[in-house]
Amino acid sequence: MAASATAADAGGQQAVQLAPAPLLEISDLRVTFRARGAQIYAVQGISYTVEPGQTLAIIGESGSGKTVSAQAVMGLLPGSARVSGSVKFKGEELVGRSQQDLRSHRGRSFAMVFQYPERSLNPTMRIGAQITEAIRTHVQIGKNEAHDRAVDLLKMVRLPAPARRFYEYPHQLSGGMRQRVVIAIALACGPQVLFADEATTALDVTTQAQIMDLLLELQQQTGTALVMISHDLGLAATYAEDVMVMYAGKIVERAPTKELFAGVRMPYTQALLDAIPRIELEPHVLLPVIGGRPPDLASIPQGCPFAPRCPGVQEDCRTDAPTLKQHEAGRWWACWHPLGKGTQQ
Amino acid sequence: MLASAREGNSAVTATAPPAAPDDGILLEVRHLVQEFVLRDFGGAKGGVLQAVSDVSFDLRVGETLGIVGETGSGKSTLARSVIQAPPPKHGQVIFQGQELVGLHHKALKSARRNLQMVFQDPFSSLDPRWSVSRLVEEPLIAYGTGNLAERRERVKSVLDLVGLDPNRYGIRRPRELSGGQCQRVAVARALALEPKLILCDEPVSSLDVLVQAQVLNLFEKLRAELGLSYLFIAHDLALVKQVSDRVAVMYLGKLCEIGPVREIYSEPLHPYTLALLTSIPDPDPQVGRQDTADVIKGELPSPLDPPSGCRFRTRCPRAQERCAAEVPEMRPMSNGHYVACHFPLAGTWQAEAPPAGQAAGESAGQRIPEQGRIVNDIVNNQSTMRF
Amino acid sequence: MSLPAANILTTASVAPAAELAGPAAGRRWVRNLEIAIPATVLVLLLFFCFIWPMVYPVPKPVGGSLTTVNLPLWSKGHIFGTDIVGNDVMSRILYGGRVSFEVAAGVQAIGLAVGGLIGLVAAYRGGWTDAVLMRILDIFIAFPSLVLVLAIADSLGPSETHVIWALSAFSIPAFARVARAAALQLRDRPFVVAARLSGTRAWRIMFQHLVPNMLPQLLTFSMLGASLTIILEGALDFLGYGIPQPTASWGNMIASGESFISVYPRYVVVPSIFLLGTAIALNMLGDGLRARWDVR
Repeated sequence: MAASATAADAGGQQAVQLAPAPLLEISDLRVTFRARGAQIYAVQGISYTVEPGQTLAIIGESGSGKTVSAQAVMGLLPGSARVSGSVKFKGEELVGRSQQDLRSHRGRSFAMVFQYPERSLNPTMRIGAQITEAIRTHVQIGKNEAHDRAVDLLKMVRLPAPARRFYEYPHQLSGGMRQRVVIAIALACGPQVLFADEATTALDVTTQAQIMDLLLELQQQTGTALVMISHDLGLAATYAEDVMVMYAGKIVERAPTKELFAGVRMPYTQALLDAIPRIELEPHVLLPVIGGRPPDLASIPQGCPFAPRCPGVQEDCRTDAPTLKQHEAGRWWACWHPLGKGTQQ
Repeated sequence: MLASAREGNSAVTATAPPAAPDDGILLEVRHLVQEFVLRDFGGAKGGVLQAVSDVSFDLRVGETLGIVGETGSGKSTLARSVIQAPPPKHGQVIFQGQELVGLHHKALKSARRNLQMVFQDPFSSLDPRWSVSRLVEEPLIAYGTGNLAERRERVKSVLDLVGLDPNRYGIRRPRELSGGQCQRVAVARALALEPKLILCDEPVSSLDVLVQAQVLNLFEKLRAELGLSYLFIAHDLALVKQVSDRVAVMYLGKLCEIGPVREIYSEPLHPYTLALLTSIPDPDPQVGRQDTADVIKGELPSPLDPPSGCRFRTRCPRAQERCAAEVPEMRPMSNGHYVACHFPLAGTWQAEAPPAGQAAGESAGQRIPEQGRIVNDIVNNQSTMRF
Repeated sequence: MSLPAANILTTASVAPAAELAGPAAGRRWVRNLEIAIPATVLVLLLFFCFIWPMVYPVPKPVGGSLTTVNLPLWSKGHIFGTDIVGNDVMSRILYGGRVSFEVAAGVQAIGLAVGGLIGLVAAYRGGWTDAVLMRILDIFIAFPSLVLVLAIADSLGPSETHVIWALSAFSIPAFARVARAAALQLRDRPFVVAARLSGTRAWRIMFQHLVPNMLPQLLTFSMLGASLTIILEGALDFLGYGIPQPTASWGNMIASGESFISVYPRYVVVPSIFLLGTAIALNMLGDGLRARWDVR
């Protein structure tokens, strides 16, 4: 478990803080779907923690299980999903709880922002009403007070002309503005963890930068932990403190951002990095890329799930599945022959 | 002969065979305008959306022109207008020396033989009920090339070219394939008739990172082996740099800047280009967050009611009065680098005098001798301005 | 010709086949059942209406003798009894069923072919073609269906083929609308645009791209339409504009039995059950197929 502590400096300006208890402790989380008679092992035993105020990026391609695992934490999975393992929010177990119990947590303890803001907003309801509805679900306050709070929230997310926008409908706003409204709704009751599931993927790159800046600012203001789920390593590099890489339902690498990019251990992460087009590269350069596809999630593979595609695969990779272990301080990986350890190029 | 045909108004007859461009220009787009009429509930005219507004550029043989823009830039509409699906409202599209706008159906079909397109969503661009071989064979049947055996051969060779084993994949349906494989099939279909130019409308945007790289490599390989030209449309600047020789930047239907790829990225001239470059999250934590507040502000204005003068002025930190009053013209700044901005970020405009013997008001082509191509019409005689 | 009582239709045609075996996943099994039950019912009905009289000597539906008038249900040799002129009710049911199915099939086929074509062309061509075709069809749709059908049937005169034509006046516009909506959805899909750009001719696009992708929708619609057609046909016959006596049809059986409903309710009830049952089975099958195909 990653521990963070701030030590007092000489002037004693900052009190020594003991390692704060993690907000979210996820332990051996597994999610299996039943579809058409077959099982789909979407998440195959992941464990991680989220500390207060932390910015964590969960990176993976489609099918890696990143979205499903977040939805499992929030309790948003359909009935056909079987969730096992442990998800503890401030020590309180969430797996196996009823929808009613989970509802009291959603919005209050943790919240989620999704990829398409137009799908998250009710097109027939005014924006202000949607925010006040979110507020009044958890807090008993009057209409006027809710109105004021909603306008304050809109100001907080930097929506231009918030008082006027309160009465507008979603279709009257642009994509970036809608996403701000969605963020306002998510933060309405002061959740301590905010999941952003590809929240900026559908936005223009200029808007994406603005929204990410906004999220980080809000994080500083409110102390919310931010979990960014994305396929974009650039986003992780620029905005996250810690990065967690998922592949085929498992976590394959986790490290603080700077250290990860300074020296990647897991060949999959390296393959991802290599495959991203970079501005620094010359045009018409062929990107180094590995072939193949992610494994079918209908069965749990015997060895490492990345073995069929790994450029540095060896015999033991195919037979034994590596487990995620903390090999260095704050750095975890699941690989028998990681890069940068002298055995790989 | 070719020059006078170009300057005339649709003087090229539909039945004239497409002449091999002697100066290497494959595609010329001139003052392209595309509009959509929006209808209210009752069917009444609600407003006119000018998706593409006075866009002009050239594309040479063997060259890849990347077109970058965000939502509402009109880049996809531009591609559709070039391929005449639907034809643009105004302007010219001259492909291999032949004007495409207003061409009769049959002539258009024969002209389009060398011009193919790859779409963004691989799954919906393939008929879900057709097999892969049938999909790739379709253009061959439509143009009546060869007999059955020859067509089958061609299908096989083109599938090999895109890296799909025809024996394994020939009979599969699109829903049995992954996104990357579907896109390969789409590319194979586009290649079947040996086209000269392929329009790619965000071909890799919906693919995963690793698959995206595979498909991009495929594009590069085909470009090298077959000498293809591409019009590559994307919203990802880094991607566009990867594949392009020249890059054009669009905003709200207008072309902001166009130039050689390295120059655009190392010395952007238009404030919008700079904003785009600054906003890209770099996969290098040492670079860190770049404050975009300095380069762009505000929200995208409604395309229905674009700002007067320069369309970017409402978000541009350098905007001044002139930007609202006057629409900036596309001006050459250096070797083939053109920008439409009253206050570009660097550089000097080249002075140009109208060629001798040109009547006032007639559109003049400005030839840059080293490049040998016309990029835009410069009407006025501008003195050199320095910034 | 007496029939051994034990022989005829001892397996009630409406009981679900108990040997249905579905795959392990529960919901899929239920969905299979949604299709399998009505399909079985219909198959059995079709079998007994069309094939059974050819292999088994069923009493004639007409020309009954006065000696066998008004026999009750489960009489020897006449499982549903006989009607007031001595005809065997069961065989009239079977032959009447033929009429119903033939009419339903004919009307749907005409609707699909003609209406489907109209809708497809209107959607693909758009513009004036679309506007003109749709306005013409609107005229037909504007009439209450039964009134329209009655008017046509009356002017043509009573006969089975005339019934089919009359009912087609209703099904053609209905199919045209559905086909147009389906084709409009498909027309702007990238794969159709891609086909146009590949140079494929319009008619080829319509029939090789659009039609195969529209077919599931049209087929399910035709199931639902068939159920409605059977009811309408029954109504026509009941009102006297359809199949003339003495030819059997479910509708005119109900009509002739109507006057005796207080004394011999079975003359109305028995054909009504079959009429309703068939319509419900077709409806269920249509719904089940649509559910199956939408999920895909």
